[in-house]
Amino acid sequence: CKCSHAGDSAVGKTALTQMFCSDGAHFQKNYTLTTGVELLVKTVSVPETSDSVELFIFDSAGKELFSEMMEKLWEQPNALCIIYDVTNEQSFSNCAKWLERLRARTLGMHLPGVLVGNKTDLIGRRAVEQKRAEEWAEIQGLQYCETSVKEMENVEVPFHILANSFHQLYREKVETFHSLV
Amino acid sequence: MFLIIQPKLSERMKSTDLCLSSEGTEVILATSSDEKYPPENIIDGSSETFWTTTGMFPQEFIINFHKCVKISKLTIQCYLVRSLRIEKSLSKDPVDFEECVEKDLQYTEGALQTEEFSLPEFQATYLRFIIKSAFDHFVSVHTVMAEGLVDNI
Ligand SMILES: Nc1nc2c(ncn2[C@@H]2O[C@H](COP(=O)(O)OP(=O)(O)OP(=O)(O)O)[C@@H](O)[C@H]2O)c(=O)[nH]1
Ligand SMILES: [Mg+2]
Repeated sequence: CKCSHAGDSAVGKTALTQMFCSDGAHFQKNYTLTTGVELLVKTVSVPETSDSVELFIFDSAGKELFSEMMEKLWEQPNALCIIYDVTNEQSFSNCAKWLERLRARTLGMHLPGVLVGNKTDLIGRRAVEQKRAEEWAEIQGLQYCETSVKEMENVEVPFHILANSFHQLYREKVETFHSLV
Repeated sequence: MFLIIQPKLSERMKSTDLCLSSEGTEVILATSSDEKYPPENIIDGSSETFWTTTGMFPQEFIINFHKCVKISKLTIQCYLVRSLRIEKSLSKDPVDFEECVEKDLQYTEGALQTEEFSLPEFQATYLRFIIKSAFDHFVSVHTVMAEGLVDNI
């Protein structure tokens, strides 16, 4: 499953991906800007089945600077993960732009997607209310969750949501294949 | 007067579907493997059973005839395949593939794609099918038929 990460710079895309892929062993305090795209692979098992989903996570740069090169790597993703920083209003309003860009690459296919509000540990500085983000996500057909990579809260949740939705799509498709003959 | 005994053509050369496991053909590689929908389903002679892809494209499978065959027509039944490339190899091992044909298929809502390729007769020991892109996250391949001759002598 090819999963594309998008979101503004410094919202925590790399932190979230690294934390998830290293099973919580890894929190970078110092910010290093991602240049281009980094690929990480992780297998997630799907509850109540014997199946698992292998996630190829494309952690991409939030800086516009690199976006032309990224467009190529974003081709035909299977799932979307859009991340914003709950203390940064701008990073939330830019989600619409990221979503539009990713969807333009999907050739009209239905894609499972999740919107992630990160940095919930910074309680006093919250700028985007959960309810507002949830509502927007619902309108866009995305699932929603909030995380704090720093406090290791919910870091696996967005990935499990995506893996489960992708598996669900597969099962539906197999039903269709059966019905063809 | 002299007589020549001519074996009937059908006894000497058999025109048949070569892509059947019952003929000794095998699928030796497939890039996706859901045990419930294995690649062997492509060559079991039934279009009811199928192989599914389970991830990113491109996806491919390789058919091994275990002998040199002459093929004049290829047919594939599949669903949601957008761009397909077929390659052949005459080697003993699955290497040195050369392009046979490449095609963009039509989207067929709710019905199998049946694609026939009538090609100038060619020899092969292996065929490789590369699904370069698709109309959805997953595709199914139901059958591949290769019409041609096996020299029985
Ligand atoms: N307080 C807090 N800080 C976080 C959290 N997640 C990430 N950070 C910090 O935010 C900064 C940026 O994180 P990155 O993961 O590098 O951001 P990014 O989205 O990958 O940025 P680009 O690569 O430039 O697109 C780092 O200094 C992290 O330590 C969190 O949950 N809480
Ligand atoms: Mg980064």
